[in-house]
Amino acid sequence: MSDYLPIFLFTAVATGMAVSIIVIAHLIGPVKRTAVKEMPYESGMDPVHSARKRFPINFYLLAIEFLVFDVELLFLYPWAVSLGGGNHAFGEGHAVFWAVMVFLGILTVGFVYTWRKGVFKWN
Amino acid sequence: MQDWLEPLIKIAIVIGALQGAVSYLILIERKVAAYIQDRLGPNRVGPYGLLQPIADGLKFVLKEEVIPAGVDRAVFLIAPVSILATATVAFATVPFGYFVPWPGAKPIALTVAPNMDIGLLFVFAVGSLGVYGVVLGGWSSNNKYSMLGGLRSSAQLVSYEIPLGLSVIGVLLLSGSLRMETIIEQQARTGWWWIALQPLGFMVFLVSAFAESARLPFDLPECEQELIGGYHTEYTAMKFGMFALSEYQHMILAAFLAVILYFGGWHFWGLAPWTEGSEVGLIGALVRIAVLSLKVLAMIFFFMWTRWSWPRFRYDQLMDLAWKAMIPLGLINLVVSGICEEFLPKDDYATRCILSWLTVAGCVVFAAMSVTSKPVTRAIAKS
Repeated sequence: MSDYLPIFLFTAVATGMAVSIIVIAHLIGPVKRTAVKEMPYESGMDPVHSARKRFPINFYLLAIEFLVFDVELLFLYPWAVSLGGGNHAFGEGHAVFWAVMVFLGILTVGFVYTWRKGVFKWN
Repeated sequence: MQDWLEPLIKIAIVIGALQGAVSYLILIERKVAAYIQDRLGPNRVGPYGLLQPIADGLKFVLKEEVIPAGVDRAVFLIAPVSILATATVAFATVPFGYFVPWPGAKPIALTVAPNMDIGLLFVFAVGSLGVYGVVLGGWSSNNKYSMLGGLRSSAQLVSYEIPLGLSVIGVLLLSGSLRMETIIEQQARTGWWWIALQPLGFMVFLVSAFAESARLPFDLPECEQELIGGYHTEYTAMKFGMFALSEYQHMILAAFLAVILYFGGWHFWGLAPWTEGSEVGLIGALVRIAVLSLKVLAMIFFFMWTRWSWPRFRYDQLMDLAWKAMIPLGLINLVVSGICEEFLPKDDYATRCILSWLTVAGCVVFAAMSVTSKPVTRAIAKS
């Protein structure tokens, strides 16, 4: 656990630094509020409607695809570390290697499917 | 020395160095841009404009902070804090040298958290938390430009996260460790920089790193002509400064990672060679810090040079590059490196080198053939 102590310290210091920057800037900077100043900036036009509207489905699909691949990466990292650098932690035989290749193959099939379905199409 | 004192001193050094480096990198970037475009650049504040960063910093603090009426105040303030904090904490496991001898005690490792064996994974985990700052900032601003910019940049950051992770697996297969000091030591011991064995991986890594740090040619989040300032349109004064700061820190981090993973870190043949254990003299320690810093600076200069040499991508081209080029290339690189590691003897780096460069040649030939074999317009329409 003591190996991780610097991480906690660093997180605390960095967050404290960021918060204090905001607080100090608030205290030092001048404040003169006007109605026009507080409008959202939209190239000089008065804004119409709220900005929080519906957005294209592509972003959503992309996020799901990202989740799948990110989890795949998480599975691959331990494999790479235990195989790499001459560790060969799996002993004799290539069973684990082929298992990983099959895993990659299945994911590639899914990847090609989503590609064909047009998830990566932007119009 | 107490348990907590040593990391605290190193944290202070890292944070101070980062902020100083960022403010002067902005000046250097403006100078580089000026010389590339045949201008002089900032030269009014101090000799050669050397006091410009201080003037800029003062101005950031002294300007009025406008918080527009419609924003979600809490989220609006959390966004810059979270993006700056994560961009800083990501440096926790990055070595900025080797060891410094300490009289009467063990040599001091030049990493904030030297004994964490998950080093690289930690950097990626914390680095990708920066997406939260982008999304929250874009959403809370209640501005259409911010919203669109936030959506675009989050999709971009998320997409390039995957090729980034894929390309790094090649390095893990060569080093067998996530600890960055170990990765450097492996390269120093064998005398091979992993760039020679992972050319395809490095290419994928470099492109993804550019996109992750939102630098041109991938700075879609803030393409001025379309989206004003992207997700930080509504941020003024110091809060905008925090976004700028974290952006530069991401760039420094990317440069550090590229140097450590692919260019041997502090190692240089003859100048800073491999030493058994951690026994380096004071001179050796300083030379290693200098070598690492110079490599990182060269990498950052490459980032700036690229910025003023390439036009910006269109958004669909950017996404196509991530999903239809970088991820397949990353998978090819992963499979080739995996086969090398599984079936070749441990120290046979020459064969690995030849195989990996043959893979690059194969990919280039395939790409050239698929471009020349069909008209460009049809290729675009089909994709």
